[in-house]
Amino acid sequence: MSVSRDEVQKIARLAELHVDDAALPALVEQMSRILDYVAQIAGVAATESAKPFIPGPAATRFRGDTAEPAPLAFPPARMAPAFRDGFFLVPRLGAFEASAQGTGEEGE
Amino acid sequence: MSGTAWEAVIGLETHVQLRTRSKMFCGCSSAFGAPPNTNVCPVCLGLPGALPTVNGRAIQLAVRAALALNCQVHVRSIFARKNYFYPDLPKGYQISQYEEPLATEGSLAFTSPDRGRVTATIVRLHVEEDAGKSLHDRFPKATAVDLNRSGVPLVEIVTGPDFRSPSEARAYLLALKEVLEYADISDCDLEKGSLRVDANLSVRRAGDTALGTKTEVKNINSFAFVEKALAVERDRQIAVLAAGGRIDQQTMLYDAKANAVRPQRTKEESKDYRYFPEPDLPPLVVPEAWLTEERTALPELPAARRERFATQYGLPAQDAAVLVQSRAVADYFEAVVGAGAEAKPAANWVMGEALADANARGGALRVPAGAVARLIALVKEGAVSHQAGKRVFAALAEGGGDPRAIAGSLGLLQVADINALARWVEDVLAAHAAEVARYRTGETKLLAFFVGQVMKASQGKADPKLVSPLLLERLGG
Amino acid sequence: MTAAADLPRVAADTADRLARAEPLKALLTPMADVRASLATQATRVTPAGALAGMPVVVKDNICTLEFTTSCGSRILEGYRSPFEATAIARLKAAGALIAGKTNCDEFAMGSSTEHSAYGRTHHPLDPERVPGGSSGGSAALVAAGAVPAALGSETGGSVRQPAAFCGVVGIKPTYGRVSRYGLVAFGSSLDQIGVFGRTVSDAARVLRAISGHDPLDATCEDRDALALPAEPENLQGFVVGIPKEYFPPDLDPGVRRACERALGLLKQLGASLREVSLPHTAHAIPTYYIIAPAEASSNLARYDGVRYGPRFDGAVDVRALYRSTRGQGFGPEVRRRILVGTYVLSSGYYDAYYRRAQRMRALIAQDFRTVFDRGVDLLFTPSTPSPPFKAGEKLGDPVAMYLADIFTVTANLAGLPALTLPIGRVDGLPVGGQLIAPAFLEDEMLEAAFALERVVPATGDA
Repeated sequence: MSVSRDEVQKIARLAELHVDDAALPALVEQMSRILDYVAQIAGVAATESAKPFIPGPAATRFRGDTAEPAPLAFPPARMAPAFRDGFFLVPRLGAFEASAQGTGEEGE
Repeated sequence: MSGTAWEAVIGLETHVQLRTRSKMFCGCSSAFGAPPNTNVCPVCLGLPGALPTVNGRAIQLAVRAALALNCQVHVRSIFARKNYFYPDLPKGYQISQYEEPLATEGSLAFTSPDRGRVTATIVRLHVEEDAGKSLHDRFPKATAVDLNRSGVPLVEIVTGPDFRSPSEARAYLLALKEVLEYADISDCDLEKGSLRVDANLSVRRAGDTALGTKTEVKNINSFAFVEKALAVERDRQIAVLAAGGRIDQQTMLYDAKANAVRPQRTKEESKDYRYFPEPDLPPLVVPEAWLTEERTALPELPAARRERFATQYGLPAQDAAVLVQSRAVADYFEAVVGAGAEAKPAANWVMGEALADANARGGALRVPAGAVARLIALVKEGAVSHQAGKRVFAALAEGGGDPRAIAGSLGLLQVADINALARWVEDVLAAHAAEVARYRTGETKLLAFFVGQVMKASQGKADPKLVSPLLLERLGG
Repeated sequence: MTAAADLPRVAADTADRLARAEPLKALLTPMADVRASLATQATRVTPAGALAGMPVVVKDNICTLEFTTSCGSRILEGYRSPFEATAIARLKAAGALIAGKTNCDEFAMGSSTEHSAYGRTHHPLDPERVPGGSSGGSAALVAAGAVPAALGSETGGSVRQPAAFCGVVGIKPTYGRVSRYGLVAFGSSLDQIGVFGRTVSDAARVLRAISGHDPLDATCEDRDALALPAEPENLQGFVVGIPKEYFPPDLDPGVRRACERALGLLKQLGASLREVSLPHTAHAIPTYYIIAPAEASSNLARYDGVRYGPRFDGAVDVRALYRSTRGQGFGPEVRRRILVGTYVLSSGYYDAYYRRAQRMRALIAQDFRTVFDRGVDLLFTPSTPSPPFKAGEKLGDPVAMYLADIFTVTANLAGLPALTLPIGRVDGLPVGGQLIAPAFLEDEMLEAAFALERVVPATGDA
């Protein structure tokens, strides 16, 4: 069950990872190898019905609703690659591309 | 095929911010309006090594919302990651719920402008975290990102394809807002963003049962725009289909300035969010005590309260609707009645003077319910006229006190003493013998003149209701 | 316990030792920074703490305030974390000195420390060989005697395997025993901070100091810090299970000899041995290599050049920024795993891969519970299928490298505590024996380890 070149490129886009055309053939081969290898668990019938295993506590603990932030030794401005007037900066998105959550275009 | 009507089929997805002090998965303040990137910490910044922890109050409010919407609350539900890339989504995924949400199978009854009473189905209600804000126009060629909002607690409420018109969809939203505000779950402010809505819309010929291809409509920023945006998209789809075309399943963004929708410009494949259970959070188990507590704490919801006001207090539906609009006002009205006033006058005073004063002053109902009840009694007893009563109310609102005492000090107490009234009547009749004679020859309209003169003589204090009969008696009519 | 007056001497001495170990290429922090920081820390340490004056190096995927945290990657080159891991705070509260950050496979993905963006670390006994991975730097420095203990991290054996390769003690705690707050996430349902030590005692003391409930980690169990057992006289009453799947016919003969010798010693100490079976063992590696990359693909989505780290610039829009930052900032092994992980979570493949793997995981965990429920106290296995291999040997085929974890991943999948200690040499190279205990019964594992450590010829040829 190998992966195709197209599939690898599609996955790379989903993962926002640039893949050089030159590197693509080797990558396709390696990914095919890995995915073929891990696919072997499909042959085991018991995996149809077993319940998933969740390590750790059985139920989540709740935090009290007090505004006590976890500590930051210095503010975001110190670590940001690009910061202005209190905002993180990124190169502009295409005009009028709203986020997947529908928060929509914010304007001034 | 002229004459065959089209029908819109609309479902709504609402995101509602919960009224908590801190964020969903970290202890940062969730308050609105702070300077950018000041309510942040390693967790909501998505720093390497940070981990989420669950805000208990947010879960309680979500449970309350689920109960208020008649949902089946699932004691055990699972957090899930919704994976996608966007500058205001710091982790590159949103912690939400997917296969096992907090609540399902709810309902909300509301009044549709088209069809009367309609029950919307609430397919699911789940908890998740908000993303930050991206501002595209603040700097040239750049997008500015503020993560204050990243991590604010949300509930997502999804209806079935239940609405048949844009105005019906809007009516549902207003009903939803009313319920959520009533139960103190959220501020539900569409303009501030504490309530956001996306819609799914398709059209079909009236009478068809199959669903057409739907589009998603986003970027709707006010209740008015809900109706406009959906109308525009509905009309667009009808035009396409009527011309023999096909609807593409895509996301349409509403442009309020142009009152138009246009497709979201994206070259990506349809989004694959690769949901999987959140490994950093154990299952969400709602304590039994919370379920009981929230059920008991749930206030009587607007629809039920409106009905009770109509039946218990005999109020007309319109009055009930006005009073129930705000929980505070409805509570106030009931307190006034509880303090001894009759329902109809209480309703009138609350809807009239009390609300006018509150609206002028930014919200607070200033006069204690007991004082309003006493004022109403005073008017009923005839000690002050209705007009005078309004002045007393104003004084009570400014400085408190007792209605009777204030009426007295303002000189507004009406005189109902028969002797005093009789004296004024005598004086007036004596002073206007000519008019008396004219009255007695049949100009009965002059009664009003005499009443006015008595009021003048008494400096407004005479109780007009008692003056007329006295005059009539003396005039021998 | 070290007297306050001795601390500056310990600090300087540690710096000297680390400098002498420089050829191993195990330390990522520049020596000048280490020396300066140690001197400062020496004046601030709590002399009465349980670890007072103990220098500890820390794998570079654990956040520290004193030094940068790069996770062995270019995408976090020079990154200074504005918060420290809970485990680090606890080490400091116990009086330990944080002696620098160590090299590792990038984002903990690897079994040889050959996938670090900053060069490979050398095996302390043979520079042509790997120290194991992903916590190779920490293992090498403990083995070289530069420090008595170190922190590493475990996702599929990344403390135990390098510990075995380098001939030191390595402990993986039960999942939820140690807070993950500040451990840069790779496979969240598998990750735990682990400990290296020259002796079982040193490693156990460090583990005790960092363990216990942390409100900042929802997956950390609500328990007190680990209680250390006394060193036992013998192992009377212990039932040690020997899972046959861990002794396949093609097991390296040297490893087999060392294990048989160790088992003989356990028997002499009074333990009874019993052959058992963990039937789903063969599926552990494929299961792990579905779950870990899947979680990693999501955990590494935050590395986008927006809020921290270097930005590989010239991007015209945000998507280009992401793709170039991530394409250039991540090395080939990380990129492969992100792609595999994205694939197994993607629509159409989720059920066949990820969902199925989570179910297989349950079967693997059940194998252990069944054996432990039938009166077995501990399991004993080889830690690795072979002695340390040569650099470059396993880089041709990604799956070949994965198979190095064959005896360690099961404990991560089942969330169980496990420990490796040196049990001999094969052609002069260290070999480790592994103990696996039931969940939260680290004390049983430590008792057996104490006893075995006393009698096993750790550096003797098997």
